Amino acid sequence: MDSFFFLVILAGAIAGASTGLLGAYVVGMRMPFIGICISHSAMVGTIYSILLGVNPVWGPVIFSALSSMSLGMVRPGRSRIDANVALAIFFNLMLGLTFLGIGLMHGSRSEVLGLLWGSLLFVKKSSVVVITISGLVFAVFAALFNKELKVLLFSRTIASATGVHESFVYCFFLALCGLILAVNLPLVGGLMIFSLITCPAAAAYQICKGHRSVIVMATVFGMASAVIGFLVSYYLDLPTGACIVIVSATIFAVSALYRTFRGQWS
Amino acid sequence: MMGGHISLSSVEVRLSGRSILAVKDMQIRQGEFVGIIGTNGAGKTTFLKVCCGLIKPARGIVKLDGRDMAGLNAWSKANVRKHIGYIPQAAEYNAELPFTLRELVSMGRASVKPLLSPLNRVDYEIVDNWIDRLDLSERRSQTFRSLSGGEQQKALIARAMAQDPEILMLDEPCSNLDFNWKYQITEIIEQLHSESKITILMVSHETNLLPEGCKRAILLHEGGILADGDIEDVLDPNSLEKAYRCRIDVLKLAGRRYTVNKS
Repeated sequence: MDSFFFLVILAGAIAGASTGLLGAYVVGMRMPFIGICISHSAMVGTIYSILLGVNPVWGPVIFSALSSMSLGMVRPGRSRIDANVALAIFFNLMLGLTFLGIGLMHGSRSEVLGLLWGSLLFVKKSSVVVITISGLVFAVFAALFNKELKVLLFSRTIASATGVHESFVYCFFLALCGLILAVNLPLVGGLMIFSLITCPAAAAYQICKGHRSVIVMATVFGMASAVIGFLVSYYLDLPTGACIVIVSATIFAVSALYRTFRGQWS
Repeated sequence: MMGGHISLSSVEVRLSGRSILAVKDMQIRQGEFVGIIGTNGAGKTTFLKVCCGLIKPARGIVKLDGRDMAGLNAWSKANVRKHIGYIPQAAEYNAELPFTLRELVSMGRASVKPLLSPLNRVDYEIVDNWIDRLDLSERRSQTFRSLSGGEQQKALIARAMAQDPEILMLDEPCSNLDFNWKYQITEIIEQLHSESKITILMVSHETNLLPEGCKRAILLHEGGILADGDIEDVLDPNSLEKAYRCRIDVLKLAGRRYTVNKS
């Protein structure tokens, strides 16, 4: 194997681990759609940065931060609209803006289409540094606000009613969610990132007991999905993104079967 | 000095242009045990949420220990709510997550501890103490989702009490429980009140679930207060008949009041 592929595997492992860790919170809050929503808003940011001829680094970060803040305004029990319905409407808007942007583009659209599927095979060292830093920032946040995040996972209503500084922690979480998704988007792609957020975390929730084990296993499953998916695609000469998605779904299926045959919840 | 005083004045909550709760003037004093009863959609949960500031009224003033909730920013509001133990209905929490019982009860300490300050040995002693007091020691390392409905309710009470609350708000704590568990849960709530003298607001559909220690009741009907005062006066067949629109008799048995449909 070429030494370059070790960089690809490293990038995949870090992207998988950070999205897996993020997924543990997103899935636990019953908002898996938030990942695809924010990643698509990051995609909109990139497309319109390219269209306007400005630096495509800031567009996705600004757009995903704005969309995170908008989603933060949807309050449980206080908003007239269900959070998941709000996410679905937001996603449709982002999808519409994405295809409008693609339609307005002249010349090659490969750069933009790469955002849908990702371009893990064209990863640069600088990108690995950026996704590592963003992943570490999120991990530090999760460790520092562990006690508050646990209450938010269990019930945002309880968190809010009992003075857990729910608004502050939730908005901080959404902002970092936007950051993680924006920096991983060019590598993983808008479609695959959804799979890496939901499947590893959902698998961990199937088999784990206790919050800490969920966090660890979601991170490990995310990393394993990306690395195994890449190795399968390399040796069998198959599309990388598709292999990663299938591996992550398989990990979930095996976990669900394990829980079923173990036959207990404890 | 211990807090736990709630006051509402000229409060109105509106939804889609319709008034869903109107309270002219009400004081809930520190240490009171108040039962909130009423028909479906009468505004019981809304009342509870207004009292803890989860719902902002369209007009009026809600004060917790003399502090106007509307005038506080999010940070100060969170600080005021630190000593509210809130137990919502099951739809408002995620019982499917694999939190262990000890993890769940320890969430009560998250309200009390400042941000960035992890739980320490003293916090876990408080947590373990409440687990033991509510007779859940054998379930300590089991997941919340594997507990029975009654045990889950006990765990939620332990979580709220680990917070060292001055006010305990319970929204239908006995719904979906069998009669034995209903009795056990209300006994626990009464015991907590008599021991700690905290203010308790308990929403209940069933009047027999309001324990002997509950001396005051508020009867809500179509978003308004139909009766408020001594529980013996509020649970009067005439008031109840107005709310429930059927003929009602109130029977007293072993300190509890049972409403019976006479028609």
